[in-house]
Amino acid sequence: MNVSLRWLREIAPDVADRPEVLADRLAALGFPVEELHSLGSGLDDIVVARVEAVRPHPNADRLRLCEVDAGTGAGTVQVVCGADNVAAGGRYPFAPVGATLPGGMRIGKARLRGEVSEGMLCSESELGLGPGHAGLLELPEGLAPGRRFVEALALDDVRMSVEVTSNRPDLLSQVGIARELSPGGHAALRLPDFPGVEPGGDPRIEAIDRAAGSERAEGDGITVRIEDPDLCARYLALAVRGVQVGPSPEWLQARLRAVGARPINNVVDATNYVLLELGQPLHAFDLAKVREETVVVRRARDGESIRTLDGVHRRLTPGMLAICDPSGPMAVAGVMGGEDSEVSEQTSDVLLECALFTPGPIRATRKELGLSTDASYRFERGVDPEGMVSALLRAAALILATAGGTVGGAIVDANPAPFTRTQVRLRRDRVGKVLGIPFTLEEISDLLLPLGLQVEVDEAAIDGEGGTLEVEVPGFRSRDLTREVDLIEEVARRHGFDRFPETLGAFRPGTVPDHPLFHLEAELRSELAAWGAFEAQTPAFAPEGEGDVELLNPISAEEGFLRARLLPGLVRRLEYNLARGNRNVRLFEIGTVFAARGEGELPTEETRLAAVLHGEREPPHWTGSTGAIDLWDLKGLMERLARRLPEGAQVIPVPQGSDDGLGVGELDPGRCFRILSGEGELVGAGGRLRDGAADLPPWADEVFLIEIILPAESASEGGIVYAPIPSQPGVDRDLALLVPDTIPVGDVLSVVGRSGGPELRDVRVFDVYREPGGEEKARSVAVRMHFRSPDRTLTDREVEGAVKSVLNTLQEELGVGVRGSQG
Amino acid sequence: MSQGGTPLEELRELESQAMDAVRSARSERDLEGVRIDFLGRKDGRLSRILKRLGEFPPEERPRVGAEANRVKTLLREALEARSAGFAQEGPVQSEDLTLPGRERWIGGVHPVTRVIDELVAIFRGLGFTLARGPEAETEWYNFEALNTPLDHPAADEQDTLYLKGGHLLRSHTSPVQIRVMQAYKPPIRILAPGMVYRRDSYDATHTPAFAQLEGLVVDEGISFVDLKATLGEFARRYWGPGTQIRFRPSFFPFTEPSAEVDVKRIHTDAEGRERESDWIEIMGAGMVDPAVFEACGLDPERYTGFAFGMGPGRIGLLKYGIPDLRLFFENDVRFLRQFART
Repeated sequence: MNVSLRWLREIAPDVADRPEVLADRLAALGFPVEELHSLGSGLDDIVVARVEAVRPHPNADRLRLCEVDAGTGAGTVQVVCGADNVAAGGRYPFAPVGATLPGGMRIGKARLRGEVSEGMLCSESELGLGPGHAGLLELPEGLAPGRRFVEALALDDVRMSVEVTSNRPDLLSQVGIARELSPGGHAALRLPDFPGVEPGGDPRIEAIDRAAGSERAEGDGITVRIEDPDLCARYLALAVRGVQVGPSPEWLQARLRAVGARPINNVVDATNYVLLELGQPLHAFDLAKVREETVVVRRARDGESIRTLDGVHRRLTPGMLAICDPSGPMAVAGVMGGEDSEVSEQTSDVLLECALFTPGPIRATRKELGLSTDASYRFERGVDPEGMVSALLRAAALILATAGGTVGGAIVDANPAPFTRTQVRLRRDRVGKVLGIPFTLEEISDLLLPLGLQVEVDEAAIDGEGGTLEVEVPGFRSRDLTREVDLIEEVARRHGFDRFPETLGAFRPGTVPDHPLFHLEAELRSELAAWGAFEAQTPAFAPEGEGDVELLNPISAEEGFLRARLLPGLVRRLEYNLARGNRNVRLFEIGTVFAARGEGELPTEETRLAAVLHGEREPPHWTGSTGAIDLWDLKGLMERLARRLPEGAQVIPVPQGSDDGLGVGELDPGRCFRILSGEGELVGAGGRLRDGAADLPPWADEVFLIEIILPAESASEGGIVYAPIPSQPGVDRDLALLVPDTIPVGDVLSVVGRSGGPELRDVRVFDVYREPGGEEKARSVAVRMHFRSPDRTLTDREVEGAVKSVLNTLQEELGVGVRGSQG
Repeated sequence: MSQGGTPLEELRELESQAMDAVRSARSERDLEGVRIDFLGRKDGRLSRILKRLGEFPPEERPRVGAEANRVKTLLREALEARSAGFAQEGPVQSEDLTLPGRERWIGGVHPVTRVIDELVAIFRGLGFTLARGPEAETEWYNFEALNTPLDHPAADEQDTLYLKGGHLLRSHTSPVQIRVMQAYKPPIRILAPGMVYRRDSYDATHTPAFAQLEGLVVDEGISFVDLKATLGEFARRYWGPGTQIRFRPSFFPFTEPSAEVDVKRIHTDAEGRERESDWIEIMGAGMVDPAVFEACGLDPERYTGFAFGMGPGRIGLLKYGIPDLRLFFENDVRFLRQFART
């Protein structure tokens, strides 16, 4: 919302502070000022000049020589000008020799194509006043040459751009901001007189009558009919006949420009003036285009359409409210008027509209049409239902003053749902309870009165509750002050948030336990960070094919779905890194994945962990490389992560020919694993990235992937129980087994573990090799078994017995024997 | 049993190995190892050869014995000489210690996680626990229960990403407030970190997904003063004791009164002078609107509370001087590495 400081001070003469101070006060009241713009800044050197004569430039077709009177009293100077619209007798802003333009350009005496030029005639954009067009800024006649441009155009003004929250439509006006800032408050405000109009107002306005009705009202030859009172609670119409449409006087144009509005003509400018001053949107129809002088407010019918003022042909849908005459729509109610009934130079009779539309549907229409206007912005937030008549009369008075004509005898007022003010009870105790410090009834009353609220102490209720105030809310706050708490907020706001103490009191502990997943996530993050991986974060969006939950209004087609898995996004981050020459990339992510459920149900969400691993196992060192990350690093990491999952989770190889089960299609079928929970459920997968499954540079190493579903509810706390440190020495025995390729080492290890007796504590593979030229299709697997008894030293015999049992079982169950022995 | 050739050949082999071992010894400890290995009385390799003297043909025995004595003497002298050398050199000279040490890869958490962890740690000290809720939500949880009618412009201000079928991606973490209040009785003191989604294009200050940290306190007797005190305490713990905090009135449909919270930090410049930062907007906060309590079935006459929400990503930008939010999603390891110093 743009506010002109001059305008504001005319409304609230007691607002005396400097603009910077006002900006701080507005911020402290909840409405920060985005920008303070001094309108005439940098224009001090510019004066009004009159062009006396224009001649062609002898050496340039596009340039002209102008004789310029800059009011110096020393005759005219010659100025070379390239603008098309320069004309003898015209008045333009002029930068004399020695002047500096807002952009910092200094005007000197120049020679252009052989002709002397002493100064510069300026366009809007050269003065930093707006985008402007190619031509010079044309100034009104009657401005004396030599007059300071800033003063002549009322540019000694400051524009404040105020950020207004959506609950405060009353602040979308000069009056609303004045009410917040004025020390005297609402009661101290007055509306400025129009220049050239007797102070105290136009008697013709005073004489206007009211032709009121409910859904239908008639008067002055005009009929208004509201067919859909649920969308339009009131509609006022007033005719002004015999107007002369033309440019507005300079003061009005200046006023509109000061707040960033573009002057159009005196009738439209009058409605805009009232919109900006009072926040009440008005519309002016060319009355000659309103058939039968009848206005019908109704929902659009199927197939109806309208060309709006912006020249766009728009189809209306039956939910939209239209302002119609008996033959069809003339305007999209509350949003934009139609071109057919637009006020133009030919218009002589004007019909002014001031209406109260229901906010929600206006918003729906505005969204559907993709058309936000000053009017719709205010209607969808709610306009003042009590300020309509005065706004309409003010616009009529302004039109009479600037466009002449006569005003109709009556406002035609269709008012099917008359507004009544809300009464809100405000308990003093409650104010103290919510705000934390006590206020007296008088203090509360003093804070609320300047806002225009009517406050009465309810004597009857004073006992018991610390007193009660009955507050009557005027129309301009009827949208946001409906409940006690709304008034409590006003008390706090007007008192000043910064004046409340910051005393930290005692508090009771909450009843909500930590969600266990946070703990597990933190553990996994530290585990992976310690392993050397970086946590990545990617948005949960995915292209088609990577998820089945579809977005209705995605940002782009590549982000049209919600991801069903983390890995595809993470692999793209790997590609991104490799493409930028980052060779060693170890990333993990903990994030949410989504799966569609039945109609009307929210998607299923899972928190998952994923990792992508690529590059050297360890940082390069001068003692030699340990090589690139391989399948065994992956398996080891998966096992490490599985230990963080609820007890019993284990990593198992995916059998040849079956898929990983998690749908990680990128995995190399021969080199992948699953993680099964203790209950045997599939909770994760990992493996080597299949060749060609990602866009990697030719120098890339093998890539390894992991994706794990984190338990939805509770992670096991691990149940750590102390075990005594062994007091007895253990004994190691090594076996060199010859294991046929058809037999997985995992099977061998489980047989060893199971047949070694209770003293076998640990079984470890410490070497696997194929003897050069040895038996084909078998590996030599060196296994170290560790035997220990908790309470005694094992004898050689006991250990030998256990080893024998292991060997026998291996032979019996798997046909595996010691290397070198005959099977 | 014995490999190798004749005893004399074995002795010669042993001699050359022993002398190599002495040369490559880097410390007295290494030398002692060599001595035990070769000259150890019980199990030294020389002793083992001499123990087998009886197995050799008698005519060779004297020569083997003499050779063994020669090797023994030679080795003793070499050990002594090397030991004397160590004494002279001192312990350090043997390696060039300016060579780089062997490192392990470092890893680390994402900078936004790092910030969340820091924020959470402070609020934990103020009695908060951690809650979470779904990222895909209903309109009711995201808007209506939070006193935001769907046809009110406030529902527009965070341009929402909708799913086909009518649900949406939460545009703030505030739905967790509702879910917690439905499931637990006051007193409630929770934090809810999580991802939220808005229909913003990617630019330096916007991404369509970002982290938010929600806080909610509900109990009897919670007031606006408690809100100011709690957040002031937080700000001073996070940004330092000199931090100033400012509450400006604002509007959120689910709190009333509502405030934007700004902080002004004190930092020391290059010349050692204390400087104040500008006011920096860090969060929105307010007293829980009675309509929100009603939507959760709590009695607003009995309970009051406050809520706040902040953007750890934005706080991270300020904290680390990161110029562009998009860096958080690019996940360039050269970026991520900078936050791994733990």
